[in-house]
Amino acid sequence: MIPTQFDYRAPATLDEAVALLASDLDGAKVLAGGHSLIPAMKLRLAQPQLLVDIARIKSLAYIREEGDQILIGATTTHYQLESSDLLKNICPLLPDCAQSIGDVQVRNKGTIGGSIAHSDPAGDWPAAVLALDADLVLIGTNGERVVKAENFFVDLLTTDLQPGEILREIRIKKPVGRFGQAYQKVPHPASGFAVVGVAVNLNLNDDGSCKSVAIGVTGVGVKAFRATAVEAALAGTSLDDNALANAVTHVCDDVDPNADLYASSDYRCHLAQVHTRRGIQAAKARVQ
Amino acid sequence: MKLEGSHQLEATRERVYQSLVSPEVLQRCIPGCEKLERTGENTFAATIKTGVGSIKGVFNGTARLEDLREPEHLRIVVEGKGAPGFLKGSGDLDLQQEGNLTKVNYTADVQVGGTIASVGQRMIQGTAKMMAAQFFTCLGAEAKTEVGEPPPQHGFFRTALRWFSGWIRKIFSHR
Amino acid sequence: MTDNYVGKRVKRTEDPRLIKGLAHYVDDISLPGTLHVAFLRSIYAHAKINSIDVEAARSAPGVVAVYTGHDVATQIGPVPCAGALPDLKVPDHRVLATNKVYFVGHPIAVVVARDRYVARDAVDQIMVDYEELPVVTDVEQAAAGGPVIHEAFGDNIAYRLTSGEGDIDAAFAAADRTIKQRVLHKRLAPIAMEPRGVLARYFPGEQELTLWSSTQIPHLMRTQVALMIGIPENKLRVITPEVGGGFGSKLNVYAEEALLAWISMQLGKPVKWIETRRENIQATIHGRGQVGDVEIAFKNDGTLTGLRYSVFADLGAYHQLLTPAIPTLTGLMLSGAYKIPAIQMNITACFTNKMATDAYRGAGRPEATYIVERALDLVAAELNMDAAEVRRKNFPAPSEFPFHTATGLDYDSGDYEAALNKAQEIAGYAELREKQRKAREEGRLIGIGVSTYVEICALGPSQAMPAGGWESATVRIEPTGKVTVLTGASPHGQGQETSFAQIAADELGVDLNDVTVIHGDTGIVQYGIGTFGSRATAVGGTAVFVAIQKLKEKAHKIATHLLEADASRVSFEGGKFSLQKGAAAGAAAGGTSDPVVPVGEAPAGALPEPQTEGKSSLTLQDIALAAHVAKNLPPDTEPGLSATYFFEPKNFTFPFGTHIAVVEIDRETGDINFLRYVAVDDCGRVINPMLVDGQVHGGIVQSIGQAMYEEVVYDEQGQLLSGTLMDYAVPRASHVPEFELDRTETPSPVNPLGVKGVGEAGTIGSTPAIVGAIVDALSPFGVRHLDMPVKPENVWRIINGH
Repeated sequence: MIPTQFDYRAPATLDEAVALLASDLDGAKVLAGGHSLIPAMKLRLAQPQLLVDIARIKSLAYIREEGDQILIGATTTHYQLESSDLLKNICPLLPDCAQSIGDVQVRNKGTIGGSIAHSDPAGDWPAAVLALDADLVLIGTNGERVVKAENFFVDLLTTDLQPGEILREIRIKKPVGRFGQAYQKVPHPASGFAVVGVAVNLNLNDDGSCKSVAIGVTGVGVKAFRATAVEAALAGTSLDDNALANAVTHVCDDVDPNADLYASSDYRCHLAQVHTRRGIQAAKARVQ
Repeated sequence: MKLEGSHQLEATRERVYQSLVSPEVLQRCIPGCEKLERTGENTFAATIKTGVGSIKGVFNGTARLEDLREPEHLRIVVEGKGAPGFLKGSGDLDLQQEGNLTKVNYTADVQVGGTIASVGQRMIQGTAKMMAAQFFTCLGAEAKTEVGEPPPQHGFFRTALRWFSGWIRKIFSHR
Repeated sequence: MTDNYVGKRVKRTEDPRLIKGLAHYVDDISLPGTLHVAFLRSIYAHAKINSIDVEAARSAPGVVAVYTGHDVATQIGPVPCAGALPDLKVPDHRVLATNKVYFVGHPIAVVVARDRYVARDAVDQIMVDYEELPVVTDVEQAAAGGPVIHEAFGDNIAYRLTSGEGDIDAAFAAADRTIKQRVLHKRLAPIAMEPRGVLARYFPGEQELTLWSSTQIPHLMRTQVALMIGIPENKLRVITPEVGGGFGSKLNVYAEEALLAWISMQLGKPVKWIETRRENIQATIHGRGQVGDVEIAFKNDGTLTGLRYSVFADLGAYHQLLTPAIPTLTGLMLSGAYKIPAIQMNITACFTNKMATDAYRGAGRPEATYIVERALDLVAAELNMDAAEVRRKNFPAPSEFPFHTATGLDYDSGDYEAALNKAQEIAGYAELREKQRKAREEGRLIGIGVSTYVEICALGPSQAMPAGGWESATVRIEPTGKVTVLTGASPHGQGQETSFAQIAADELGVDLNDVTVIHGDTGIVQYGIGTFGSRATAVGGTAVFVAIQKLKEKAHKIATHLLEADASRVSFEGGKFSLQKGAAAGAAAGGTSDPVVPVGEAPAGALPEPQTEGKSSLTLQDIALAAHVAKNLPPDTEPGLSATYFFEPKNFTFPFGTHIAVVEIDRETGDINFLRYVAVDDCGRVINPMLVDGQVHGGIVQSIGQAMYEEVVYDEQGQLLSGTLMDYAVPRASHVPEFELDRTETPSPVNPLGVKGVGEAGTIGSTPAIVGAIVDALSPFGVRHLDMPVKPENVWRIINGH
């Protein structure tokens, strides 16, 4: 459980961090909470030459309301998100998702940016930011660019982050109208990761029918995804039991469900259906 | 672990087959392959620096081609070892001409051992599929070029992967 | 005798240092100049080693030495196995592999370096030329043939054994019905919070070696390691610092202990090894590992006539200390809490390409109880009888004790019906069944599981044990009256520093804080057997108790002499020897009972003179001082006040109890939720109820682990897939229900304390109740048996017919 040798830098600014990454595109790695990277290093599965610690850049951790947007700094910890009164008010999916992650120690260190950039197939944040249609702000030596969450998660542990880029901010449109949100998770009994995790961001019409619903699913495939077929099937419906039962059968349409020591792909898909339904019901119950 | 899948390449069967047995093409298409040398009539030695995400390792190994029935079938047997662990496996590839496309069906039997087996069991299948997708995407691009033309550029593959990864998923069948 | 402490929930004296982080585990001990050790372990389950190239590792900066199997094969003896069974095949297993490896994790080479980082890096530089061999992991395949692991034996069968009494064939022939059921006991990893660790320091001048190890058996280990490395036993000192859990996994002598000791002797420097969690799951012993068929023969009214258990025992690739013996403990307890006239067990114990199995909390007895309890449930289901009633029907009555079982044991005492009645009362059993009936009408899946268990512990009479079953104690009263207890037991979480102090304090009438209990240091404590098999209080506590009686006898003699009275007139009460009224010969009336030396006023230097003249009572402290100053002792009395006793128990003890589990199953997902958990356990006399509760809690939690979460998984190539705690699921607090615990107290006649032992009872009694409850919940689907761990997916498939 001892990593290979590495250099460590704790830059004071984001620009310094970008420059450090650029100095060794192959061997440098960003360190934030470290709770995915350091275990991989201790197992010697990851052997970065240089760790660029951005967790100490205070200006990278924030939760702000700005106009019709919520801005979250990438190194905001899960705990900060879990305990934010602002978010509990204006976007409860975020604290709901945060409080399900790992345990207290993990939540005190782990960051939303790190989780998104790492894109563990069973990580929770990717599902939430997909359901919130977030914009992800990346910065590198070529400047900044913004990538939509739906284009960010490419494959297993693979995102659109190019070598030398750092995810610095998550931008979410403030939910408006009659919205309800919920995060449903089946935690793996050993790891606490999501066997299945479903993030629901629901909007109702005035008559209570479904105006739109965004469903982010994690744990099921090689990466988190939007259950677009389910979303389409629910739009305009009253979200009654029948509508739900029919719609959720499509949750695994475009994905090859994972199988592991704990759950087969059939069972995983079944759990995804059950928890998508329960997530929508919970979100609906929370609509103001 | 059993893997199976299918890929459609925009090239003739003959061209695809030739690419599959060419050490130069294999070196360019096997993800992370830094070196691939012929050591015998149908045997090769390779050094592969590969991984997924921040999980990376260097593997040294051998590959052997067997059961060569040009242009319809071949079998590849591989063995590789590195710090993260080892893998052994064999894959049967069947090529079918469908119009001006070639459909490559593969079934593979892979054993993984060492750290990656005891720690990363849940990700092995996904990693294997991703690498197979990268390999076949690259192979398709190579097979499209005529013999003697310069090989496709490296940067092509990342984009290709993004384009193809979506519909490739649909083609893969369950284990 | 006072009754200030025994029977009370006294807070543990161990806890302050543990909670404040002031305790010393092996890794907390820092010696100047310590070198660190890292192992290269096999990544293949079965392979020849053609060559090992250590040159790069050896010449890496900071590396002091690298050793391989051939370097040590003639220097260090084989890893010992104490299981003596007829015709047992014992592989010659050395501390480092020589020509072949036979399990993933098999140590091949060891690097010694200036720090643990250099050592670990150097391990990666060692090149091994492996030649893979075919692997056998399935125990039934290993028995049937399969690749032979130890060629000299010709096959993979370590031993075969048939045991049991009664005419089993007649029993089955005479039965109205018989049921056969295949039962699996998967391998479990003990997962002590603290993995293993060893620190060895050799003094070349004195030629003495001190070995710190996280072990449960310091003395036994000392003897074995001394033999393995050829150092005189009285030149080797073994110290157990704080041990962060053992559960049987540290009841052993491991390669690493002998190897570190030897290396320290070679280099004349301290050397340290701390096991990583991955090594712990690979190369610390596993528990359980049985695949078998139970056959139960019974009458139409539910009376049992016979039980047969035919089992393949998965021993692993070689033997650790008690590997072959564990399945035989299963055989001993196949009668459970019932009268079964004929019992037969057939063991085929096999080698497989996996880590060795050995004792893990319960050590063979959870398997027995699980088999018998599942059999009773099958009988109940077959006859449509209530699970509790079919059990009650087959209990021996209290008057039938000592009760001889068809496994060859004599249960000393027991009132199984009392425990069952109490548990049913607490649970509200009749109401629960009614609630279940109503719930079923609504389509809800509620299940009730009952387990009425007996277990065998307080190991045990030396006749039946491989290396002695007694336990030792020395109790001293120091000149200042403080009490020192040296116990051969080796607590590693059980709390005997507190409970033995409770016993001593009450027996001697002193304050709890005036008693110090010392253990785990072979340089200080007389030879002891150690802590395992729920024996520390029953056997070790008794040794303490009897040693104290010897002390009291001597103290009484001295007191009588100093009080110049007749022995019959001097009584001991509340820590004082007092003259009974009307026996004032030679003593002034109204003597004080103040302490001889007021606290804080002791003059510097010499001990004060005992002021014993003219008193009508003397404290124990007075006697202690007098015994050491020795100016006025009775004739023929040795000075000092110390007694040693080695207690040899005449029998094991047989704790028993009833556990009742109530679960509800989520039809949609197969999730299993506890509604209630009731446990009534009889461990005889209770010294500290809080410690007993803690043991029961822990045992039940580990049972929940086995029943629902835990399983060591090897693939067909012998690769360990459940290699970290990301996959191996140890229960968390959120997985565990509120326990409703109670006791019956049937004192054991085997020892004067009346104590039976309780360390393993929870792990033994609980799994069948939990699995029984899940099976009961699913009985509307025709389910009669499920294999552990029962996971939500298994349940979902049953409910939904997938």
